[in-house]
Amino acid sequence: MEHNVYLPRIGQIVEVKEEVKGARPIKSFRVQLLDGPIFPFRCGQCAMLSVFGKGESMISISSSPLQTDYLQFSVLKMGRVTSALHEMEPGDLIGVRGPYGNGFPVEKWKGKNIVFIGGGIGLAPIWSVLQTTLLQRADYGELCLIYGARTSHDLVFRQELTDLKAQIPVHLSIDVAEPGWSEFVGFVPQNVLDKKPSAVNSIAVTCGPPIMIKFVIMALKDLGFEDSQIYTTVENKMKCGIGKCGRCNIGHHYVCKDGPVYSWAELKQLPQEY
Amino acid sequence: MKVFFPKKEAFGWTLTEAAADGAIPSDYSYAVVPPKKLIFPQEEIFFEFQQTADEGLQLRETLPELPPQVIVGVRPCDGRAVAALDQVFSGSFEDPYYWRRRRATILVGLACNTPPSNNCFCSSLEGSPSSEEGLDVLLTDLGDRYYVRGLTEKGKELIRAQSSLFSDPTEEEKKLRNKISQEGAQKIKRHLEAARELPPKLKTMFDSPFWEEAALSCIRCGICTYLCPTCHCFDINDETRALAPLKGRRVRTWDTCQFPDFTMHSSGHNPRPNKAARLRQRLLHKFLYFVELYDRFQCVGCGRCLDLCPVGIDIIEVLSKARNHGA
Amino acid sequence: MVSEDKLREEVKKLLQEGKIKYFIGYENGGPGWLARPAFIQQPEAVSRLIWSPGCVHNLTRFLQDEKRRRAREKNPDLRPVGLIVKGCDSRAINVLLQEKYIERKDVYLIGVSCELLGVVDEAKITRRLYPAKPLQVRFGAKETILVLTDQGEREIAASEVLADRCLECPANFPLVADIVLGEKINRPNPQPYQSIASFEAKSLEERWAFWQEQFSRCLRCYACRSVCPMCYCDECVADSIVYAVSADTTAEEKAQKVKWVERNPEPQENIFYHLVRAIHLAGRCVDCGECERVCPVGLPLRLLNKKLEKEAKALFGYEVGLDANSPPLISCFRDNDPQDFIR
Repeated sequence: MEHNVYLPRIGQIVEVKEEVKGARPIKSFRVQLLDGPIFPFRCGQCAMLSVFGKGESMISISSSPLQTDYLQFSVLKMGRVTSALHEMEPGDLIGVRGPYGNGFPVEKWKGKNIVFIGGGIGLAPIWSVLQTTLLQRADYGELCLIYGARTSHDLVFRQELTDLKAQIPVHLSIDVAEPGWSEFVGFVPQNVLDKKPSAVNSIAVTCGPPIMIKFVIMALKDLGFEDSQIYTTVENKMKCGIGKCGRCNIGHHYVCKDGPVYSWAELKQLPQEY
Repeated sequence: MKVFFPKKEAFGWTLTEAAADGAIPSDYSYAVVPPKKLIFPQEEIFFEFQQTADEGLQLRETLPELPPQVIVGVRPCDGRAVAALDQVFSGSFEDPYYWRRRRATILVGLACNTPPSNNCFCSSLEGSPSSEEGLDVLLTDLGDRYYVRGLTEKGKELIRAQSSLFSDPTEEEKKLRNKISQEGAQKIKRHLEAARELPPKLKTMFDSPFWEEAALSCIRCGICTYLCPTCHCFDINDETRALAPLKGRRVRTWDTCQFPDFTMHSSGHNPRPNKAARLRQRLLHKFLYFVELYDRFQCVGCGRCLDLCPVGIDIIEVLSKARNHGA
Repeated sequence: MVSEDKLREEVKKLLQEGKIKYFIGYENGGPGWLARPAFIQQPEAVSRLIWSPGCVHNLTRFLQDEKRRRAREKNPDLRPVGLIVKGCDSRAINVLLQEKYIERKDVYLIGVSCELLGVVDEAKITRRLYPAKPLQVRFGAKETILVLTDQGEREIAASEVLADRCLECPANFPLVADIVLGEKINRPNPQPYQSIASFEAKSLEERWAFWQEQFSRCLRCYACRSVCPMCYCDECVADSIVYAVSADTTAEEKAQKVKWVERNPEPQENIFYHLVRAIHLAGRCVDCGECERVCPVGLPLRLLNKKLEKEAKALFGYEVGLDANSPPLISCFRDNDPQDFIR
């Protein structure tokens, strides 16, 4: 019998980590599938997570595809489904449908330098690419991460970021000065201009709030990056995840299926409606 | 086997489950709710879920099990609409619910001797009152009998199963049928000129103030989209029946890009925050994006949205104005 | 008779003098549409305006759009919007004023009297003239309607094709307006609530079976709610199509929203939606008939609202939309209100 694209597989949460507490909490969930190994996927792809009785939410997979023990999802608590997810604990069961979307073209980036630029929860989809390039370090040129959030409490993967500093340059920022904060104070695009990543043989990958993406792209262009060197992921409200319910389209593209990853050169061609 | 036959109600015609007893009434126009309802129903239950302490979480898939269904009296535009929907629900992800119903369906079309609506414009969009696309059988009313064409294997088998009811057409009958087909096309009153000029023109009009003016009287209901034979947008919701133990089902329902919260993010950000943007989406989807994806219009010129819009928004008028905008 | 020229003249003056932001009236519709709403912004465009028995729409519905537009704009133009109101529409204005949804200065009303007639029911005309198809209608000389069809012009008695609600209308003359076109003629209303009489004769079981059957057809297109001037809530309790949230709305608030009605169109959900809506319109519905007119599957929605209108009158002596200054029915309690249901 053909596989039913709308029927989720059952996943079990094996670990829950509180990334950010407070008014806009973020938790990372590590999930294994009950009926077999996790599905293969590409960096930047997402999955529809079900909390049965509440609904589904499309969340990007933040673990690397080279890591096959579990799927990691970092979830910002936003509404009905994500609130219910945030109440869940290891052992609890959810539905998983996926992987969906086009993923980052990491094979094309071999030999290039990569600048990762994230804001807030936007680091989650980038994390998958970042981890993958670190696991295949020799295949890539120079790597660096520029990441910021509103306050130091809103930064995700804190421990991992500290560990990461030993491997690649990590430039953090927060919007407003705090006692004890010695790194950049300001918005992420300003930090990009401050750190001046080179555009030579480079790819920039950015994800975060739409306004941040807009200004990051402007900053990168100022630094000499071409439209085809800049990659981002787009977000839209989704229901089916497979390009049929008609909801997430930008022009003739469905973000769930033809996206969410776009180079700025590609995104510019589409109607600016997202 | 179930048969759906045109039935006259106070408000218009419907395709209702009934024994087909006799010819399709001569005053039959078109079914207000298009045949898509029988292949892509307004409610489709995807699966039921249950979580108990003993048995854990269980999902029970509820794929439709249905006997063959023959829909009689499908107008050729609605047949073409089903062909368009077939494209949407196939591709890299095949939709099993749609295809179970689709494969169980036999569409018996009825050619239009006269346009069913004042607002029909199928011939402007690469259709015709005797188009065969999407149908399994096409009937043409010759006055006292039907000229019958079996189009697909399913359609031909239906005819073979009752072969005693049919005879080979005479030359006279063939000529009459051709005459009726030609005259049917000539009787169409409304035309959307140069439709193929629309996609490139619309592509330049995304930021135009044209849409604001066109959408002024729209009341953002769902009539144009729900009654449209090619519209397919849907919603998926979990309905909880009991909490402890958890019991419920996941349900697909029709949805419309005309409702304000269709594209609204949980953060409150809405890529289409006003009627102008939503009207633009509907028309661009049908006359540009669908063309870019499948090289065909997502409109078959049935005229329902024109006939039923509460405020008389006329898609032919709006598109003609768009085509000439700024010229 | 209401003069179309006078109407156009008045509107032209208002626009030229900048007294109104824009005008909402009626214009000829496309083929098969007798009339449709028109938004006139330039003085030259007033030639589009018509007044005919096809002018069925309740234009006060568009005050919702104006209000939402003002809320979105940084420096909104606060000049009044001009619009045409028939007797029924003017009562809708009174309800909106009572509820303080709009202020009197937000609207400039050109009232039109229906005199002895009213507006037509398009379905009645279509049935009456079949197989000819009606294209346009005009007022005839003596209580007749002139219909231009695709097979020539016909003249029919108005009583045969007037909308049911016009036949029982108590307010054929605008109750609130800045200027009025047409004469004030007291039209007798010998049989109010005529349209629900035969329904009231049914037993409760028959009524329930009737509604079960009717609501099995409902598509939940929400045209009935979308066209109603009184359904102006940002979020509807019964399955909203608008989600009134902002960046500041907390996840908890969103998670705790109750779904009173599911999106699926099963009969029990449909019934719940329609009954909740009817109750929320009790004492507010002016019987403009739009909900029933726009329904694509012919649901007899006026029966529900008319019944509640009758109850409001019988129980509380309340008539809808007569006085903008009286408190709304549901938000006031008088000492002599019936209390026999309180045990």
